[in-house]
Amino acid sequence: MKVALIGFGNLGKGLTRVLLEKGDYLKEKSGVFLEVTAAVDSGGAIIDEEGINIKDLLEAGQREGSIAEHIDGGEIGTTALDVIERVNSDLVVELTPTSIKDGEPGLTHIKKSMELGKHVVTANKGPLVVGFQELEKLSKEAGVEFRYSATVGGAMPIFGLAKGQMSGDSISEIQGVLNGTTNYILTRMAEEGAPFDVVLNEAQELGIAEEDPTLDIDGVDTAAKITILTNSLLDRNVKLDDVKIEGISRIGPKVTKLAQETGNEVKLVGIANSHTLEVSPKLVPSNNPLAVKGSLNSVTLKTDLAKEITITGFGAGPRETSSALLGDIVNVYKSVEV
Amino acid sequence: MRARIEMELEDTPGQLLKILEPISRHGANIKNIVHQREELTPLGKVPVTVIIDVKEDHLKEIVEEIKDIGARITRVGEEEAALRAVVLLVGDIIETGIKDSIERLNSVEGAKVADLNLSIGESGEEPSARVILWAIDQERLQSAISKLKEIASEKNLLVIEPMR
Repeated sequence: MKVALIGFGNLGKGLTRVLLEKGDYLKEKSGVFLEVTAAVDSGGAIIDEEGINIKDLLEAGQREGSIAEHIDGGEIGTTALDVIERVNSDLVVELTPTSIKDGEPGLTHIKKSMELGKHVVTANKGPLVVGFQELEKLSKEAGVEFRYSATVGGAMPIFGLAKGQMSGDSISEIQGVLNGTTNYILTRMAEEGAPFDVVLNEAQELGIAEEDPTLDIDGVDTAAKITILTNSLLDRNVKLDDVKIEGISRIGPKVTKLAQETGNEVKLVGIANSHTLEVSPKLVPSNNPLAVKGSLNSVTLKTDLAKEITITGFGAGPRETSSALLGDIVNVYKSVEV
Repeated sequence: MRARIEMELEDTPGQLLKILEPISRHGANIKNIVHQREELTPLGKVPVTVIIDVKEDHLKEIVEEIKDIGARITRVGEEEAALRAVVLLVGDIIETGIKDSIERLNSVEGAKVADLNLSIGESGEEPSARVILWAIDQERLQSAISKLKEIASEKNLLVIEPMR
């Protein structure tokens, strides 16, 4: 299967590294043979219809500037849309930076890919937050696979679980701790009694929190994820604006202590059901499976048959997210081959 | 006195009726029964909580007779409410009139503030408080929480509610 990598930041590089590492494993175990025919970043593209040497691509990615500058035949100035339109590929993996305001440029990339009959795998929340139902419809009309496991909860296979093994269940409620940065901050305040700012700095130094952590701390990132989960698993058509959002900026170690004294933890929880769509700090009993520590994520699905299922895993990191991307890619491969 | 008896019953028909018989025979007044059929214990028993107004010397006899019927008593004690909820508040709890907040919460019928813990923030942290609400049933507990949210919204306090 020919694959075009759109976007070559941390996730693109992380996926490429895993493809290099696990190429033989995938061939032997799942019979999957992947050829990367194009990779593009904001400065240009590398294109080879016979398959790019993954090792060279990874090396180019380690250097300053665009990958196009560091490989013979690299096309400086070639854009993602050029690649999608021009290069022969069965699958487009969309990994450009997220904008939850307008979903661009990912939204345009995904739509164009579908219109051209290409399958799409993405880790980009933006396009799904802005246009989930539109993209679902478009993929059905175009008869292409559209998979987005990596958009919510990193390595946690929440969509695979809900839409695969639990297909027979009707989901009535989703509860999730969906943001590693805020969960890390809350956990460290509870454990160490350290002030918010100190713990935030620590998270930034460890690379858990971004330089500008506003979207995480204000609960917007969690809201984006609960929006995607609601549209995908509860079959609704909600927008980010529909989510009532309260972040964790007012919470300090005194608050987490008051909670712990009664056997509770403070967690930033996204909740979606027929009458609630919100993100807010909640008191979660310490023995509740959602009371995960550190940068872990956790989601509980309430359903008619299984009653309650909770999965927990690492919600971020290029390697962890590669697990979700690779799972999606293999599933596209299998659905196309059959 | 008002007493709370927590017990575990067999999940078979008629069990609840059996344990109510000694209660009514001793002239106790049943205020509330919480029959948690959906929360079976690991051994498949049904947790039941009964709140009664009873004369102190009758309570012992009632408990003994319930035991004789075969129910497992897990806890007996003086109690004012069947349900409680822990809620945290963040913000200027004192400045915005703590007395007024408590009085308004206590005005919810069948519910009251059972405990209040204040924590004065250091180094820029806002003050916070832990409120324990008691109510005689789920509906009144929800009314008390709604009232708390209404007060908090007026006074710009952050409410951290328990997960359902």
